[in-house]
Amino acid sequence: MTDAVLTQPRRLGFARRVIDGGGLWPAVPALVYLVLFMVLPIITLLTFGFVTIDRGAITDGGFTLTHIAGVLGDPLVWNLMWRSFWIAVVSTCLTLVLAYPIAYAYGHLKGVWRTLLLVAIISPLLTSALVRTYAWIVILGGRRGLLNQTLLSLGVIDQPLQILNTSTAVVMGMTQIHLPFMILPLLAVLSERDRRFEEASLNLGASQVETFFRVTIPMTMPAIVAGFALVFAVSYTNFIIPQLLGGGNYSTLAVQVYEQTIVVLDWSRGAALATLLLTTCFAFVLAIVSVGGRLTRWSEVRR
Amino acid sequence: MSQLVIENVSKAFGTQQVLRDCGLAVDKGSVVTLLGPSGCGKTTLLRSIAGFLVPDAGRILVNGQDISHLPPNRRDVGYVFQNYALFPHLTIRENIGYGLKIRRKPKALIRGKVEDALGLIALTDFGDRYPKQLSGGQQQRVAIARSLVLEPEVLLLDEPFNALDAQLRLSMQIELRKLIDRVGITSIFVTHDQQEAMTLSDRIAIMRGGRIEQLGTPLEIYDHPQTPFVADFIGRANLIPVAIRSGRTDSPQPIAAAVPDGPGTLVVRPENLTIAEGPGPGWEGSVGFATALGATIEYEIDRGVGEPLRAILPRQPGVAPLTPGSRVTARIRDEAAAILLSGSPRP
Ligand SMILES: Nc1ncnc2c1ncn2[C@@H]1O[C@H](COP(=O)(O)OP(=O)(O)O)[C@@H](O)[C@H]1O
Ligand SMILES: [Mg+2]
Repeated sequence: MTDAVLTQPRRLGFARRVIDGGGLWPAVPALVYLVLFMVLPIITLLTFGFVTIDRGAITDGGFTLTHIAGVLGDPLVWNLMWRSFWIAVVSTCLTLVLAYPIAYAYGHLKGVWRTLLLVAIISPLLTSALVRTYAWIVILGGRRGLLNQTLLSLGVIDQPLQILNTSTAVVMGMTQIHLPFMILPLLAVLSERDRRFEEASLNLGASQVETFFRVTIPMTMPAIVAGFALVFAVSYTNFIIPQLLGGGNYSTLAVQVYEQTIVVLDWSRGAALATLLLTTCFAFVLAIVSVGGRLTRWSEVRR
Repeated sequence: MSQLVIENVSKAFGTQQVLRDCGLAVDKGSVVTLLGPSGCGKTTLLRSIAGFLVPDAGRILVNGQDISHLPPNRRDVGYVFQNYALFPHLTIRENIGYGLKIRRKPKALIRGKVEDALGLIALTDFGDRYPKQLSGGQQQRVAIARSLVLEPEVLLLDEPFNALDAQLRLSMQIELRKLIDRVGITSIFVTHDQQEAMTLSDRIAIMRGGRIEQLGTPLEIYDHPQTPFVADFIGRANLIPVAIRSGRTDSPQPIAAAVPDGPGTLVVRPENLTIAEGPGPGWEGSVGFATALGATIEYEIDRGVGEPLRAILPRQPGVAPLTPGSRVTARIRDEAAAILLSGSPRP
């Protein structure tokens, strides 16, 4: 009798658990979509790195490590990876330095100015990244580029600046194009923040500047880490911007993936490079998040 | 000389006048409470003193020096926020040491002062926790300690007990008063709870609509309210509208008046009313409600006109309370305890 009373709710509990699926049911459409159109293609792509493909078909011989070994043994690949990495780091840092004041200003604006700033932040997202990259070519390109024309006609310089087709151009383009991805997470946190913490800091004798560095920035660190990881990942893996702004002889790891797969049509090498790109990207993001986790340990504590 | 003086401070937000000509002087080491209904401008006045906002007019002086134009970080005025505003990214020790660190004090001195402060608020073992890991009462003590280690001239506290449950409130009120007495700091304290004000203050400033309506010790205000609003806000009171003619009220129980003829308000505390069954000389009505509270019984008497009268009578053991509906007459027990003010009850 007692047993029945005790076990019955448990069985019901199991049925219930299936029915409400731990609250996951609403996520099922998205999960199905992700598995079909992201996870499976990625697995397929990665698999290509471990087989040999000839004229679009997997040849006999099955599993092989030669492509991966070939990629890892190639010093050029390591050079490109290093370039991808530091370009992403520099551009992400610049993005952060530019985005933070904008997000901060947003929190201090009111009414129509606030709306205008938001429109200015979001409107670049309405055009494709490709178009924006071309815009940078128009600005930076040769003697006829907007920048050189202006500076030459103002007499600031005698010789046109050679910015296009250098790493500088790539970093500049990347920074601008990825700016919204940094601003938006920061904006959400900075505009909602409780100003009393800053007032408390002033009240305890800190100046506005000290308050900004000792209270505002540390308290928004979780958003900084999130934005940094996001922008780093998209910068590290972007191939359009380096390809167009870096010029014909310029390459990064991501550009190599594109060229091996689309131009050279060596799918196996392309897939092996993609594997390297994805794994290293994942590792770097994990590193960012774990360093960030250490900086934001306070936000995790519970009573 | 008063340590803190507020002179004719006014402040408007847009078209809304929030502070009107507020004046206040606080003696060294004393506790003044700003008491008033929500929205009457208490926080605004406190924020003006701390420098978080600039008044439109008036001056604020500390030790005779005008601080009105100093930024908040130069004012030497401690502020305890309504929800404490402890820095969530700093430990309790770092929170308490924040101001000292900003002042670039030597590390050893900071450590010593922080430990002393932790001892004072009995939280020595909690120093390395984060604010989120402390209870509301503990956080409040930290917020107070964080201000006190800087030994400010004045401590401002904005409804510091609001976030605490009723149980904890009273004990924290007593704790806070003891702490303030021990360090002897001049304090201004904001509340909308009159019991809290009575417990904590040397003097109470009753605020209403941006004005300080009356300033006095808790008992002065209780015994001699100058306006019907004050009488009603401090303790409970029956406010009976009367007309004054040739030095007497026209009420069923006439009271001698020292105020000019015209409309008046008779203020009678519930404990100063007695009740007799049946008609008689006094305010006649019927018992609307009776609540036996153990030692006392509280009656509500409907008079047909105006607000019901409240009377609190000692309960005689073995005597049943009057039943609702009984006809009774209420009289003022001691005419000296009745307060007559000129003007109608709710202008
Ligand atoms: N920054 C502000 N901007 C506009 N109105 C404000 C601001 N601060 C307070 N007020 C208004 O001033 C009035 C008094 O507020 P407050 O001083 O917070 O009252 P209290 O602390 O007595 O409850 C309220 O009506 C409030 O809406
Ligand atoms: Mg308030």
